[in-house]
Amino acid sequence: MTDTTNTEDTTDATEEVAADGAGIVAPDDETPTWRERKERRQGLSRLTYEYFERSRREDQDLRTESSYVERDVLAFPTWPHEMIRNLSLTSFFVGLILFLAAALPPHLGAPADPSTTPAIILPDWYLYWSFGLLKLGPLNPDLAILGGQKLMKDATYGVLANLVVVGFIALVPFLNKGSARRPVEQPFWSAVGVFGVVFAVMISGLSIKNLWPAWVNVHLLFDMTFLLPFVAGFITYAILKAMREGYMFELNRRYYRLRPPR
Amino acid sequence: MSDEFIKGLATLCGGLFGWMVFSGWYTTEGFESTQLIAEVPTDPAIYGNIALTLREALFWFAIFGAITFWVLIPAGRQARAALRDRRSSN
Repeated sequence: MTDTTNTEDTTDATEEVAADGAGIVAPDDETPTWRERKERRQGLSRLTYEYFERSRREDQDLRTESSYVERDVLAFPTWPHEMIRNLSLTSFFVGLILFLAAALPPHLGAPADPSTTPAIILPDWYLYWSFGLLKLGPLNPDLAILGGQKLMKDATYGVLANLVVVGFIALVPFLNKGSARRPVEQPFWSAVGVFGVVFAVMISGLSIKNLWPAWVNVHLLFDMTFLLPFVAGFITYAILKAMREGYMFELNRRYYRLRPPR
Repeated sequence: MSDEFIKGLATLCGGLFGWMVFSGWYTTEGFESTQLIAEVPTDPAIYGNIALTLREALFWFAIFGAITFWVLIPAGRQARAALRDRRSSN
């Protein structure tokens, strides 16, 4: 078998290409011992063990047959391994949906009445953050040079706040391309992410401030909306920075590097 | 250890799932009022009685199942290991 992709080796006829894959078989310490085989005797652990053992064996066979020299791509074949797993997960969730549809009593509400306005008008829950940004009136400054008047109406201010948030989210991919595999690898950007998540949750809570029970202090909620994201971000940064010491950057890089065949 | 974790999680989720279905039938006033934890009906028929009993049973099955797999069994193992260590060291 000749390696046509590698021009250096074909020109040099004296040097034999190691096409038998001898150098790329999994080393012996990855093969389970007989003791390990015996320990997994029954039930789910046996099934799981056989599944992974067979995958490992097929991977080893593929490596043995492969004409690639030092193939570094670690993966399972799509069929059957990935498909069996995906189909079992899919079946589970489809079964769950069918069961719920059959077993939970359906609710058929009264037909919608277009002639009356409901007392509470809200967007869907995943748009609460945007709805909350419309309620930033207290942050709209009264300017002294305008004689204590506001530069723009609170509504305009809220819409502009939406533009700022959406603009920042659109800017993030240009500032950081997201090459980290774990939060510890880039503590600052992880902290920015936690900041954003906490801010989204808090501003969502603020957007329904008129619906909270009486014990919720709305003014405190407003302050916390802008304070808690910073607190959460700083804590995240500190924790991740402290975790970097024990983190094996090299090992992680080795697992996730997909090197094309030489 | 991860085996015990997934057993506890499965017990918790499965039990609460069944509890949710029975609660949807028997202790839900309506879509826009109290859901799942409304008052238990005072004079249920025989099927209602069975369902309400199962509802209670599933709830406590979920709680005690999770406690068993996440707390009791690991604690028992640790205790047994500690006892063995103490015996072998003496």
